[in-house]
Amino acid sequence: MFETLLDDVAQNSTFRHIHPGTKILLGLGSLLICLVSPSPVVPLISGIILSLVILIPARISPLMYGELLLAPAIFTAFSIIVLLFMLGGGEVIWRFSPVSWINFTITEGAVRQSVLILFRVFGCTISLFFIALTTPVTDLFNIMKRCRIPLELIDLMMIMYRYIFITYEQAREIWQAQIMRLGYSRVKESIRSFSMLCGMLFISSWIAGEGLIHAMDCRCYNGIMPSLDPAGPVQMPSLILVLLYLAGLIGILLMITTGVVVVP
Amino acid sequence: MNVILEARDIRYRYPGSIEAIKGISFHMRRGEKIALVGPNGAGKSTLLQMFNGMIRPNSGTVLFDKEPIQYDTLSLRQLRKRVGYVLQNPDRQIIAPTVYQDVAFGPANLGYDDQAIRQAVALALRQVGLEGFERRPPHHLSGGEKKRVAIAGVLAMDPDVLVFDEPTSGLDPSGSEDLMELLDELNHDGKTVIISTHDVELAYPWADRAILLLDGRILEEDVPDVAFGNLDHVRMAHLSVPTLLELSQELGKRGFAQPKRKPRSVLDMIHIIENLINRSGSNAKPGSISVCNVDEERDTSIATWVKSRPGLTVGAMGTRAKQRASKEQLALEFTYGVIDKCILRALRGQDSLILTTSGMVDRVAIRVEAYCKDSGNTIAVIPLNTTNQSSVAGLLNEVVKENDPSH
Repeated sequence: MFETLLDDVAQNSTFRHIHPGTKILLGLGSLLICLVSPSPVVPLISGIILSLVILIPARISPLMYGELLLAPAIFTAFSIIVLLFMLGGGEVIWRFSPVSWINFTITEGAVRQSVLILFRVFGCTISLFFIALTTPVTDLFNIMKRCRIPLELIDLMMIMYRYIFITYEQAREIWQAQIMRLGYSRVKESIRSFSMLCGMLFISSWIAGEGLIHAMDCRCYNGIMPSLDPAGPVQMPSLILVLLYLAGLIGILLMITTGVVVVP
Repeated sequence: MNVILEARDIRYRYPGSIEAIKGISFHMRRGEKIALVGPNGAGKSTLLQMFNGMIRPNSGTVLFDKEPIQYDTLSLRQLRKRVGYVLQNPDRQIIAPTVYQDVAFGPANLGYDDQAIRQAVALALRQVGLEGFERRPPHHLSGGEKKRVAIAGVLAMDPDVLVFDEPTSGLDPSGSEDLMELLDELNHDGKTVIISTHDVELAYPWADRAILLLDGRILEEDVPDVAFGNLDHVRMAHLSVPTLLELSQELGKRGFAQPKRKPRSVLDMIHIIENLINRSGSNAKPGSISVCNVDEERDTSIATWVKSRPGLTVGAMGTRAKQRASKEQLALEFTYGVIDKCILRALRGQDSLILTTSGMVDRVAIRVEAYCKDSGNTIAVIPLNTTNQSSVAGLLNEVVKENDPSH
């Protein structure tokens, strides 16, 4: 569900015209900085700034953005709770032992580590969302080619990308047809309906595969999958902004690690 | 006789199934428009797939350009470059994740260099009216747009023959008419076009020749009014007689003399009826038809010109003309069958403007002239151009004044 949605959002994004390289530099750059940062401050700053960029100039609806963040947030929250009890070091802050041989402790070190991980996840997730929400998959293929990813893999990815939507649409149609005839009404019925759906999808994918070869043959296929014309030259203003931003983040990071600024 | 495709007694049996093609011989001339009509399972698609070598007949030969088709890989690739095949379901045909990549698929595989690919794609997208769609993914397109992408993908290889399997299936009525116009446009550019269809009403006015196919055999092969006029055959092929043809036949049965040339359009029908009630060449002086070539009138505003002439209706013929109209926010009265509809208006003493493209400008004059010769009416076709717009405008004003029934 989200795959369709995310790509659709990216296709219609106001950042569509910005060179995909610039956007990926921003996303991956801030992702790396968040990952190596020893302090939660840098990922926090990066996350907030990128969120503002996503919400204001890129005009992604806040509601949708919130919904998107919710899924990783819940996952992270549970992981952090576990981590709090698992990690150790420093003074014990809180202890809970209902029986003598069960011992739950939260230590100062664990809190520090967990907060760092929490913020790193926050920063990294938002960096990735930035790419996902502004750069359509179709623009990524060119970048992959330039990164020397084997052409066979990219060709496969292109065809898969094309067929995801066709298969998804087909699955939806079959599912609707089943619902209309009261499929999924009971547990046993659901299992039967779902297996039918999978079987039908398999058969239709098989036929689609044969159709694909047929279609490619019709058009003189000789092993070449053309790539999209590059989206024009890199626009300097946006690239400079991105570089400035990344330089700023690295600056803060260096200041913290070298102890110029002391973070509690 | 310039035959481009020929079938000589071809037969084909699907493996483990009944014989689908039971001995078919026919030929196609260069520049012809052929409609292959028949019920489901008549073998239309099977036959069409033989033209680009997708299916090899069990016996008999298919000839392209007077040479029997060879079935080795290299010859097949050469054949498929020259015989473009557009599948019924565009989702099956569109392979690549963006419009540009899909249209570039053929040229890239034919080994064109980047510059040539870019040119071929730009030209093909221009022909089908999808400029600016290059970076769009196919699943964001409407059914009609997908169909056009599929056609562009074939046009990019610049084939001589275009084969369409059910080109109008899944399109709304106006989309179908638009598509048939596009096929006309392509045919006008020199392509030989063959389509398969169930839609008699669409095929009847469009085709130069209709082939009725039933049960793997050719039932009837003739100009559309003869092919569709044979009631027994039409019934056998699970088709229906085109309304206009039926109307003409019914009038004939009731003792109203019918001309030898059967009506192919509403215009023809009106002409027949007017002749019957002796009102042909009635007192009202016919209106005029202005023709504007949008390829030449790039900078001027057509909209202001139109606005200064109330009562003028505007029709557009060809994809670029329609785009221009929507760019200038001109309300189009006619988007298909434009010339005939404008003649109909002219006969009622009203003026119209046809927006069209370079390739089709002549068609207006030719069609109107042919009609006038047939009917004895005179309708003025006035080319509209900017260089001496004032004089043309002045001339038109006079015509309008003369024709205005209130004067």
